[in-house]
Amino acid sequence: MFKVKKSLIYLTIISLLWQALVYFFNIPTYILPSPIDIFVSFSNNHMLILRNLGITILEILTGFLLANLASLMLVCIAFYNKRIENIIFPVSIIIKTIPIIAIAPIIILWFGTGFVSKVVIVILMCFFPSLINMVGATRMIDRNLFYIFEIYSASKKQIITKLIIPATLPYLFSSLKISSSLAVIGAIVAEFMAVNKGLGFLIMSSYYSLNMPMVFASTLLICLIGLLFYYLIDTIEKCLVNWQ
Amino acid sequence: MAYLNIENLSEKYGNLYVIKDFNLCVNKGDFVSIIGKFGVGKSTLLKIIAGIMPIQEGSIIVDGLAPKEALAQRMIGIKFQKSNLLPWRNVLNNLLLPLELSGINDNDRALELLELVDLKPISDLSISQISGGTEQLLSILRCLMLDPELLLLDEPFSSLDEITREGLYEKIKIIQTAKRKTVLMVTHSINEAIRLSDKIIVLSEKPTKVKKVFNAKKDKININEIKKCLR
Repeated sequence: MFKVKKSLIYLTIISLLWQALVYFFNIPTYILPSPIDIFVSFSNNHMLILRNLGITILEILTGFLLANLASLMLVCIAFYNKRIENIIFPVSIIIKTIPIIAIAPIIILWFGTGFVSKVVIVILMCFFPSLINMVGATRMIDRNLFYIFEIYSASKKQIITKLIIPATLPYLFSSLKISSSLAVIGAIVAEFMAVNKGLGFLIMSSYYSLNMPMVFASTLLICLIGLLFYYLIDTIEKCLVNWQ
Repeated sequence: MAYLNIENLSEKYGNLYVIKDFNLCVNKGDFVSIIGKFGVGKSTLLKIIAGIMPIQEGSIIVDGLAPKEALAQRMIGIKFQKSNLLPWRNVLNNLLLPLELSGINDNDRALELLELVDLKPISDLSISQISGGTEQLLSILRCLMLDPELLLLDEPFSSLDEITREGLYEKIKIIQTAKRKTVLMVTHSINEAIRLSDKIIVLSEKPTKVKKVFNAKKDKININEIKKCLR
Protein backbone atom coordinates (compact mmCIF):
# COMPACT_ATOMS: atom_id res chain seq x y z
CA MET A 1 0.00 0.00 0.00
CA PHE A 2 2.89 2.30 0.90
CA LYS A 3 4.48 1.58 -2.48
CA VAL A 4 1.25 2.53 -4.31
CA LYS A 5 1.00 5.77 -2.32
CA LYS A 6 4.63 6.57 -3.10
CA SER A 7 4.11 5.87 -6.83
CA LEU A 8 1.00 8.07 -6.88
CA ILE A 9 2.93 10.91 -5.24
CA TYR A 10 5.72 10.60 -7.84
CA LEU A 11 3.16 10.48 -10.64
CA THR A 12 1.47 13.65 -9.35
CA ILE A 13 4.81 15.47 -9.06
CA ILE A 14 5.82 14.46 -12.61
CA SER A 15 2.40 15.51 -13.99
CA LEU A 16 2.63 18.89 -12.25
CA LEU A 17 6.16 19.48 -13.56
CA TRP A 18 5.06 18.42 -17.05
CA GLN A 19 2.02 20.75 -16.90
CA ALA A 20 4.24 23.63 -15.71
CA LEU A 21 6.80 22.96 -18.46
CA VAL A 22 4.13 23.10 -21.18
CA TYR A 23 2.50 26.18 -19.64
CA PHE A 24 5.62 28.28 -18.94
CA PHE A 25 7.47 27.44 -22.18
CA ASN A 26 4.28 27.71 -24.20
CA ILE A 27 4.93 24.37 -25.97
CA PRO A 28 2.37 23.74 -28.74
CA THR A 29 0.04 20.75 -28.27
CA TYR A 30 1.24 19.03 -31.48
CA ILE A 31 4.79 18.89 -29.98
CA LEU A 32 3.99 18.07 -26.37
CA PRO A 33 0.40 18.05 -25.07
CA SER A 34 -0.06 18.83 -21.38
CA PRO A 35 -1.37 16.19 -18.94
CA ILE A 36 -4.69 18.07 -18.86
CA ASP A 37 -4.95 17.94 -22.70
CA ILE A 38 -4.23 14.20 -22.58
CA PHE A 39 -6.83 13.64 -19.87
CA VAL A 40 -9.44 15.69 -21.77
CA SER A 41 -8.69 13.78 -24.98
CA PHE A 42 -9.06 10.48 -23.11
CA SER A 43 -12.36 11.42 -21.48
CA ASN A 44 -13.78 12.75 -24.77
CA ASN A 45 -12.77 9.61 -26.69
CA HIS A 46 -12.82 7.01 -23.93
CA MET A 47 -15.24 4.69 -25.73
CA LEU A 48 -13.11 4.65 -28.87
CA ILE A 49 -9.89 4.15 -26.88
CA LEU A 50 -11.32 1.42 -24.65
CA ARG A 51 -12.84 -0.42 -27.66
CA ASN A 52 -9.42 -0.49 -29.35
CA LEU A 53 -7.70 -1.31 -26.05
CA GLY A 54 -9.93 -4.39 -25.68
CA ILE A 55 -8.79 -5.65 -29.08
CA THR A 56 -5.12 -5.07 -28.23
CA ILE A 57 -5.46 -6.83 -24.87
CA LEU A 58 -7.11 -9.82 -26.58
CA GLU A 59 -4.21 -10.02 -29.07
CA ILE A 60 -1.65 -9.72 -26.27
CA LEU A 61 -3.24 -12.40 -24.09
CA THR A 62 -3.90 -14.85 -26.94
CA GLY A 63 -0.38 -14.56 -28.35
CA PHE A 64 1.23 -14.61 -24.90
CA LEU A 65 -0.64 -17.73 -23.75
CA LEU A 66 -0.19 -19.64 -27.01
CA ALA A 67 3.54 -18.81 -27.20
CA ASN A 68 4.23 -19.82 -23.61
CA LEU A 69 2.13 -22.98 -23.75
CA ALA A 70 3.85 -24.05 -26.98
CA SER A 71 7.31 -23.30 -25.57
CA LEU A 72 6.53 -25.27 -22.38
CA MET A 73 5.34 -28.27 -24.35
CA LEU A 74 8.41 -28.14 -26.58
CA VAL A 75 10.68 -27.88 -23.53
CA CYS A 76 9.14 -31.07 -22.08
CA ILE A 77 9.58 -32.88 -25.43
CA ALA A 78 13.15 -31.56 -25.84
CA PHE A 79 14.01 -32.67 -22.32
CA TYR A 80 13.48 -36.31 -23.25
CA ASN A 81 14.85 -35.98 -26.77
CA LYS A 82 18.31 -34.45 -27.01
CA ARG A 83 18.12 -34.45 -30.83
CA ILE A 84 15.11 -32.12 -30.72
CA GLU A 85 16.88 -29.94 -28.14
CA ASN A 86 19.93 -29.73 -30.40
CA ILE A 87 17.72 -28.58 -33.30
CA ILE A 88 15.66 -26.12 -31.23
CA PHE A 89 18.53 -24.03 -29.91
CA PRO A 90 20.22 -22.94 -33.18
CA VAL A 91 16.85 -22.46 -34.93
CA SER A 92 15.56 -20.36 -32.02
CA ILE A 93 18.65 -18.18 -32.00
CA ILE A 94 18.45 -17.62 -35.77
CA ILE A 95 14.75 -16.70 -35.65
CA LYS A 96 15.30 -14.51 -32.58
CA THR A 97 17.91 -12.44 -34.41
CA ILE A 98 15.45 -11.50 -37.20
CA PRO A 99 13.95 -8.10 -36.26
CA ILE A 100 10.19 -8.35 -35.86
CA ILE A 101 9.80 -5.09 -37.85
CA ALA A 102 11.42 -6.85 -40.82
CA ILE A 103 9.34 -10.00 -40.61
CA ALA A 104 5.98 -8.36 -39.76
CA PRO A 105 5.09 -7.35 -43.36
CA ILE A 106 5.63 -10.96 -44.49
CA ILE A 107 3.38 -12.27 -41.73
CA ILE A 108 0.69 -9.75 -42.67
CA LEU A 109 1.02 -10.84 -46.29
CA TRP A 110 0.54 -14.48 -45.27
CA PHE A 111 -2.14 -14.10 -42.59
CA GLY A 112 -3.93 -10.89 -43.66
CA THR A 113 -4.51 -7.69 -41.68
CA GLY A 114 -6.89 -9.24 -39.14
CA PHE A 115 -6.57 -10.73 -35.67
CA VAL A 116 -4.53 -13.80 -36.69
CA SER A 117 -1.50 -11.96 -38.10
CA LYS A 118 -1.23 -9.82 -34.96
CA VAL A 119 -1.40 -12.89 -32.72
CA VAL A 120 1.27 -14.59 -34.86
CA ILE A 121 3.57 -11.57 -34.40
CA VAL A 122 2.97 -11.62 -30.62
CA ILE A 123 3.73 -15.37 -30.59
CA LEU A 124 6.97 -14.79 -32.50
CA MET A 125 7.98 -12.09 -30.03
CA CYS A 126 7.28 -14.24 -26.95
CA PHE A 127 7.95 -17.81 -28.03
CA PHE A 128 11.71 -17.95 -28.58
CA PRO A 129 12.91 -16.00 -25.53
CA SER A 130 10.60 -18.12 -23.41
CA LEU A 131 11.83 -21.33 -25.03
CA ILE A 132 15.53 -20.49 -24.66
CA ASN A 133 14.99 -19.47 -21.04
CA MET A 134 13.09 -22.63 -20.17
CA VAL A 135 15.49 -25.02 -21.92
CA GLY A 136 18.29 -23.30 -19.98
CA ALA A 137 16.29 -23.72 -16.76
CA THR A 138 15.88 -27.49 -17.24
CA ARG A 139 19.63 -27.78 -17.81
CA MET A 140 20.27 -26.06 -14.49
CA ILE A 141 18.47 -28.70 -12.43
CA ASP A 142 20.99 -30.62 -10.33
CA ARG A 143 21.78 -33.95 -12.05
CA ASN A 144 21.69 -35.68 -8.65
CA LEU A 145 18.01 -34.79 -8.27
CA PHE A 146 17.29 -36.86 -11.38
CA TYR A 147 19.34 -39.69 -9.89
CA ILE A 148 17.23 -39.48 -6.72
CA PHE A 149 14.03 -39.73 -8.76
CA GLU A 150 15.57 -42.60 -10.74
CA ILE A 151 16.46 -44.43 -7.52
CA TYR A 152 12.82 -44.23 -6.44
CA SER A 153 11.70 -45.50 -9.87
CA ALA A 154 9.78 -42.32 -10.67
CA SER A 155 7.77 -42.32 -13.90
CA LYS A 156 8.33 -39.68 -16.60
CA LYS A 157 5.09 -38.01 -15.53
CA GLN A 158 6.28 -37.88 -11.90
CA ILE A 159 9.64 -36.44 -12.96
CA ILE A 160 7.88 -33.71 -14.95
CA THR A 161 5.23 -32.85 -12.35
CA LYS A 162 7.22 -33.31 -9.15
CA LEU A 163 10.66 -32.18 -10.27
CA ILE A 164 10.96 -30.33 -13.58
CA ILE A 165 7.90 -28.08 -13.23
CA PRO A 166 8.50 -26.94 -9.64
CA ALA A 167 12.28 -26.63 -10.17
CA THR A 168 11.81 -24.46 -13.26
CA LEU A 169 8.88 -22.45 -11.91
CA PRO A 170 11.02 -19.44 -10.83
CA TYR A 171 12.61 -19.37 -14.32
CA LEU A 172 9.19 -19.78 -15.93
CA PHE A 173 7.94 -16.69 -14.13
CA SER A 174 11.05 -14.71 -15.09
CA SER A 175 10.45 -15.71 -18.69
CA LEU A 176 6.72 -14.84 -18.41
CA LYS A 177 7.65 -11.39 -17.13
CA ILE A 178 9.98 -10.85 -20.09
CA SER A 179 7.31 -12.22 -22.43
CA SER A 180 4.64 -9.92 -20.97
CA SER A 181 6.41 -6.77 -22.14
CA LEU A 182 7.43 -8.39 -25.44
CA ALA A 183 3.78 -9.34 -26.05
CA VAL A 184 2.72 -5.70 -25.65
CA ILE A 185 5.48 -4.53 -28.04
CA GLY A 186 4.56 -7.26 -30.54
CA ALA A 187 0.87 -6.34 -30.52
CA ILE A 188 1.55 -2.62 -31.01
CA VAL A 189 4.11 -3.25 -33.79
CA ALA A 190 1.60 -5.54 -35.52
CA GLU A 191 -1.11 -2.89 -35.27
CA PHE A 192 1.23 -0.24 -36.70
CA MET A 193 1.66 -2.45 -39.75
CA ALA A 194 -1.78 -3.91 -40.20
CA VAL A 195 -4.01 -0.84 -40.56
CA ASN A 196 -7.19 -2.12 -39.04
CA LYS A 197 -7.94 -1.65 -35.35
CA GLY A 198 -6.34 -1.72 -31.91
CA LEU A 199 -4.40 0.82 -29.88
CA GLY A 200 -1.39 0.71 -32.23
CA PHE A 201 -3.66 1.59 -35.10
CA LEU A 202 -5.23 4.39 -33.02
CA ILE A 203 -1.78 5.79 -32.19
CA MET A 204 -0.75 5.77 -35.87
CA SER A 205 -4.00 7.26 -37.20
CA SER A 206 -3.96 9.98 -34.49
CA TYR A 207 -0.32 10.71 -35.31
CA TYR A 208 -1.13 11.21 -39.02
CA SER A 209 -3.84 13.72 -38.05
CA LEU A 210 -1.47 15.38 -35.53
CA ASN A 211 -3.86 14.56 -32.70
CA MET A 212 -1.02 14.32 -30.18
CA PRO A 213 -3.15 14.26 -27.00
CA MET A 214 -4.78 11.11 -28.39
CA VAL A 215 -1.35 9.63 -29.27
CA PHE A 216 -0.16 10.29 -25.72
CA ALA A 217 -3.38 9.01 -24.12
CA SER A 218 -3.20 5.75 -26.08
CA THR A 219 0.55 5.35 -25.44
CA LEU A 220 0.23 5.99 -21.71
CA LEU A 221 -2.66 3.55 -21.54
CA ILE A 222 -0.68 0.80 -23.24
CA CYS A 223 2.20 1.47 -20.81
CA LEU A 224 -0.25 1.08 -17.96
CA ILE A 225 -1.55 -2.19 -19.41
CA GLY A 226 2.03 -3.52 -19.77
CA LEU A 227 2.75 -2.54 -16.19
CA LEU A 228 -0.42 -4.16 -14.84
CA PHE A 229 0.28 -7.32 -16.85
CA TYR A 230 3.78 -7.49 -15.38
CA TYR A 231 2.57 -7.01 -11.82
CA LEU A 232 -0.19 -9.58 -12.28
CA ILE A 233 2.46 -12.18 -13.20
CA ASP A 234 4.64 -10.97 -10.32
CA THR A 235 1.75 -11.41 -7.87
CA ILE A 236 0.97 -14.92 -9.15
CA GLU A 237 4.69 -15.75 -8.83
CA LYS A 238 4.75 -14.60 -5.21
CA CYS A 239 1.78 -16.87 -4.46
CA LEU A 240 3.13 -19.94 -6.27
CA VAL A 241 6.89 -19.64 -5.82
CA ASN A 242 6.69 -19.00 -2.09
CA TRP A 243 9.77 -21.02 -1.16
CA GLN A 244 12.29 -18.47 -2.45
CA MET B 1 29.39 -64.31 2.53
CA ALA B 2 29.90 -60.54 2.47
CA TYR B 3 26.85 -58.32 2.14
CA LEU B 4 28.53 -56.12 -0.46
CA ASN B 5 31.15 -57.69 -2.64
CA ILE B 6 33.12 -55.71 -5.24
CA GLU B 7 35.52 -57.65 -7.43
CA ASN B 8 38.04 -56.22 -9.89
CA LEU B 9 35.94 -53.15 -10.56
CA SER B 10 37.44 -50.84 -13.19
CA GLU B 11 36.09 -47.63 -14.64
CA LYS B 12 37.68 -45.59 -17.35
CA TYR B 13 37.01 -42.28 -19.07
CA GLY B 14 38.26 -42.70 -22.62
CA ASN B 15 41.50 -44.63 -22.27
CA LEU B 16 42.25 -43.40 -18.77
CA TYR B 17 41.44 -45.67 -15.84
CA VAL B 18 40.00 -43.73 -12.89
CA ILE B 19 39.31 -46.90 -10.91
CA LYS B 20 41.39 -50.02 -11.52
CA ASP B 21 40.90 -53.52 -10.10
CA PHE B 22 39.01 -52.28 -7.07
CA ASN B 23 38.11 -55.00 -4.55
CA LEU B 24 36.04 -54.59 -1.42
CA CYS B 25 34.00 -56.75 0.97
CA VAL B 26 31.55 -55.22 3.42
CA ASN B 27 29.72 -57.28 6.02
CA LYS B 28 26.11 -56.72 6.95
CA GLY B 29 25.68 -54.01 9.60
CA ASP B 30 29.18 -52.61 9.13
CA PHE B 31 29.98 -48.93 8.86
CA VAL B 32 32.74 -48.63 6.28
CA SER B 33 34.45 -45.39 5.31
CA ILE B 34 36.37 -44.84 2.12
CA ILE B 35 39.05 -42.16 2.36
CA GLY B 36 40.87 -40.69 -0.55
CA LYS B 37 42.06 -37.39 -1.92
CA PHE B 38 39.84 -35.09 -4.02
CA GLY B 39 39.07 -36.34 -7.51
CA VAL B 40 40.09 -39.98 -7.07
CA GLY B 41 36.65 -41.19 -8.13
CA LYS B 42 35.03 -41.79 -4.73
CA SER B 43 31.66 -40.37 -5.83
CA THR B 44 31.82 -42.30 -9.10
CA LEU B 45 32.42 -45.46 -7.09
CA LEU B 46 29.30 -44.84 -5.00
CA LYS B 47 27.19 -44.16 -8.10
CA ILE B 48 28.35 -47.46 -9.63
CA ILE B 49 27.56 -49.36 -6.42
CA ALA B 50 24.16 -47.64 -6.32
CA GLY B 51 23.39 -48.86 -9.82
CA ILE B 52 22.91 -45.40 -11.33
CA MET B 53 26.13 -45.67 -13.33
CA PRO B 54 26.89 -48.83 -15.34
CA ILE B 55 29.68 -51.25 -14.43
CA GLN B 56 32.33 -51.18 -17.16
CA GLU B 57 34.57 -53.98 -15.86
CA GLY B 58 34.36 -56.29 -12.84
CA SER B 59 31.39 -57.15 -10.68
CA ILE B 60 29.39 -55.83 -7.76
CA ILE B 61 27.06 -58.01 -5.73
CA VAL B 62 24.72 -56.53 -3.12
CA ASP B 63 23.18 -59.29 -1.01
CA GLY B 64 23.33 -61.67 -3.97
CA LEU B 65 21.99 -59.16 -6.49
CA ALA B 66 23.48 -56.89 -9.15
CA PRO B 67 23.26 -53.17 -8.22
CA LYS B 68 20.43 -52.47 -10.72
CA GLU B 69 18.36 -55.32 -9.27
CA ALA B 70 19.15 -54.24 -5.71
CA LEU B 71 18.14 -50.69 -6.61
CA ALA B 72 14.87 -51.90 -8.12
CA GLN B 73 14.16 -53.82 -4.91
CA ARG B 74 14.80 -50.64 -2.89
CA MET B 75 17.75 -52.20 -1.09
CA ILE B 76 20.00 -49.20 -1.68
CA GLY B 77 19.71 -45.64 -0.42
CA ILE B 78 22.15 -42.96 -1.53
CA LYS B 79 22.87 -39.52 -0.17
CA PHE B 80 24.88 -37.21 -2.37
CA GLN B 81 27.32 -34.55 -1.23
CA LYS B 82 24.67 -31.81 -1.35
CA SER B 83 21.47 -32.36 0.60
CA ASN B 84 19.41 -32.23 -2.63
CA LEU B 85 16.20 -31.51 -0.76
CA LEU B 86 13.37 -30.00 -2.76
CA PRO B 87 12.92 -26.38 -1.58
CA TRP B 88 9.27 -26.26 -2.71
CA ARG B 89 8.38 -29.00 -0.20
CA ASN B 90 8.45 -28.67 3.57
CA VAL B 91 10.49 -30.95 5.84
CA LEU B 92 7.83 -33.66 6.14
CA ASN B 93 6.96 -33.64 2.45
CA ASN B 94 10.63 -33.99 1.53
CA LEU B 95 10.80 -37.13 3.61
CA LEU B 96 7.58 -38.39 2.06
CA LEU B 97 8.90 -38.03 -1.52
CA PRO B 98 10.25 -41.61 -1.86
CA LEU B 99 6.95 -43.01 -0.53
CA GLU B 100 4.92 -40.76 -2.83
CA LEU B 101 6.90 -41.87 -5.89
CA SER B 102 6.35 -45.49 -4.87
CA GLY B 103 2.64 -44.97 -4.35
CA ILE B 104 2.79 -45.50 -0.57
CA ASN B 105 0.90 -43.30 1.86
CA ASP B 106 2.54 -43.49 5.27
CA ASN B 107 3.16 -40.28 7.20
CA ASP B 108 3.92 -42.22 10.38
CA ARG B 109 7.17 -43.61 9.00
CA ALA B 110 8.45 -40.10 8.30
CA LEU B 111 7.35 -38.85 11.70
CA GLU B 112 8.98 -41.84 13.40
CA LEU B 113 12.30 -41.08 11.69
CA LEU B 114 12.05 -37.40 12.59
CA GLU B 115 11.40 -38.36 16.20
CA LEU B 116 14.46 -40.61 16.21
CA VAL B 117 16.70 -37.58 15.68
CA ASP B 118 14.53 -35.08 17.61
CA LEU B 119 13.39 -33.24 14.49
CA LYS B 120 9.64 -33.88 14.80
CA PRO B 121 8.89 -30.28 15.95
CA ILE B 122 10.26 -28.88 12.66
CA SER B 123 8.26 -31.16 10.35
CA ASP B 124 6.15 -28.26 9.01
CA LEU B 125 9.04 -25.87 8.38
CA SER B 126 10.19 -25.04 4.87
CA ILE B 127 13.71 -25.98 3.76
CA SER B 128 14.82 -22.34 3.73
CA GLN B 129 14.01 -22.16 7.46
CA ILE B 130 16.33 -24.98 8.58
CA SER B 131 20.10 -25.10 9.08
CA GLY B 132 22.64 -26.73 6.75
CA GLY B 133 23.27 -29.50 9.27
CA THR B 134 19.57 -30.29 9.56
CA GLU B 135 19.34 -30.36 5.77
CA GLN B 136 22.09 -32.98 5.63
CA LEU B 137 20.42 -35.04 8.33
CA LEU B 138 17.05 -34.84 6.54
CA SER B 139 18.70 -35.94 3.34
CA ILE B 140 19.99 -39.05 5.15
CA LEU B 141 16.54 -39.66 6.66
CA ARG B 142 15.00 -39.42 3.20
CA CYS B 143 17.31 -42.25 2.09
CA LEU B 144 15.91 -44.35 4.92
CA MET B 145 12.26 -43.82 4.03
CA LEU B 146 12.04 -46.97 1.92
CA ASP B 147 14.06 -48.85 4.52
CA PRO B 148 17.07 -49.79 2.35
CA GLU B 149 19.59 -52.29 3.71
CA LEU B 150 22.60 -50.49 2.28
CA LEU B 151 23.16 -46.78 2.81
CA LEU B 152 25.67 -44.99 0.59
CA LEU B 153 26.81 -41.61 1.91
CA ASP B 154 28.86 -39.29 -0.25
CA GLU B 155 30.75 -36.84 1.97
CA PRO B 156 27.64 -36.13 4.04
CA PHE B 157 29.36 -33.63 6.36
CA SER B 158 31.70 -31.86 3.96
CA SER B 159 29.94 -28.49 3.97
CA LEU B 160 29.37 -28.32 7.73
CA ASP B 161 31.16 -26.69 10.62
CA GLU B 162 32.89 -28.70 13.35
CA ILE B 163 30.15 -28.34 16.01
CA THR B 164 27.36 -29.36 13.62
CA ARG B 165 29.45 -32.32 12.46
CA GLU B 166 29.93 -33.55 16.03
CA GLY B 167 26.17 -33.49 16.57
CA LEU B 168 25.53 -35.31 13.32
CA TYR B 169 28.09 -38.08 13.98
CA GLU B 170 26.09 -39.04 17.03
CA LYS B 171 22.80 -38.98 15.15
CA ILE B 172 24.14 -41.03 12.26
CA LYS B 173 25.33 -43.64 14.73
CA ILE B 174 21.90 -43.65 16.41
CA ILE B 175 20.24 -44.21 13.03
CA GLN B 176 22.68 -46.92 11.97
CA THR B 177 22.37 -48.82 15.24
CA ALA B 178 18.59 -48.43 15.54
CA LYS B 179 17.89 -49.41 11.94
CA ARG B 180 20.79 -51.91 11.63
CA LYS B 181 22.00 -50.54 8.33
CA THR B 182 25.11 -51.32 6.38
CA VAL B 183 26.75 -48.00 5.63
CA LEU B 184 29.39 -47.16 3.05
CA MET B 185 30.57 -43.60 3.46
CA VAL B 186 32.93 -41.69 1.24
CA THR B 187 34.89 -38.96 2.97
CA HIS B 188 38.16 -37.06 2.96
CA SER B 189 38.11 -36.49 6.71
CA ILE B 190 40.23 -38.97 8.68
CA ASN B 191 38.68 -37.93 12.02
CA GLU B 192 35.20 -38.49 10.68
CA ALA B 193 36.11 -41.95 9.43
CA ILE B 194 37.74 -42.91 12.75
CA ARG B 195 34.76 -41.65 14.77
CA LEU B 196 32.16 -43.55 12.81
CA SER B 197 33.62 -46.59 11.11
CA ASP B 198 34.22 -50.24 11.76
CA LYS B 199 36.51 -50.37 8.78
CA ILE B 200 38.44 -47.66 6.91
CA ILE B 201 39.54 -48.13 3.33
CA VAL B 202 42.31 -45.84 2.11
CA LEU B 203 42.41 -45.31 -1.63
CA SER B 204 45.44 -44.78 -3.80
CA GLU B 205 45.47 -42.31 -6.68
CA LYS B 206 45.56 -42.68 -10.46
CA PRO B 207 44.16 -45.22 -10.90
CA THR B 208 42.08 -45.62 -7.75
CA LYS B 209 42.73 -48.85 -5.90
CA VAL B 210 42.45 -50.05 -2.32
CA LYS B 211 45.77 -49.05 -0.75
CA LYS B 212 45.17 -50.22 2.79
CA VAL B 213 42.32 -51.43 4.98
CA PHE B 214 42.16 -50.44 8.65
CA ASN B 215 39.91 -52.56 10.82
CA ALA B 216 38.68 -50.66 13.87
CA LYS B 217 37.03 -53.75 15.31
CA LYS B 218 40.38 -55.55 15.53
CA ASP B 219 43.03 -52.84 15.89
CA LYS B 220 43.30 -49.42 17.39
CA ILE B 221 43.50 -47.06 14.44
CA ASN B 222 46.23 -44.46 14.50
CA ILE B 223 45.42 -41.20 12.73
CA ASN B 224 49.07 -40.67 11.74
CA GLU B 225 49.18 -44.04 10.10
CA ILE B 226 46.22 -43.15 7.88
CA LYS B 227 47.77 -39.76 7.09
CA LYS B 228 51.00 -41.46 6.10
CA CYS B 229 49.09 -43.90 3.95
CA LEU B 230 47.26 -41.04 2.18
CA ARG B 231 50.48 -39.22 1.24
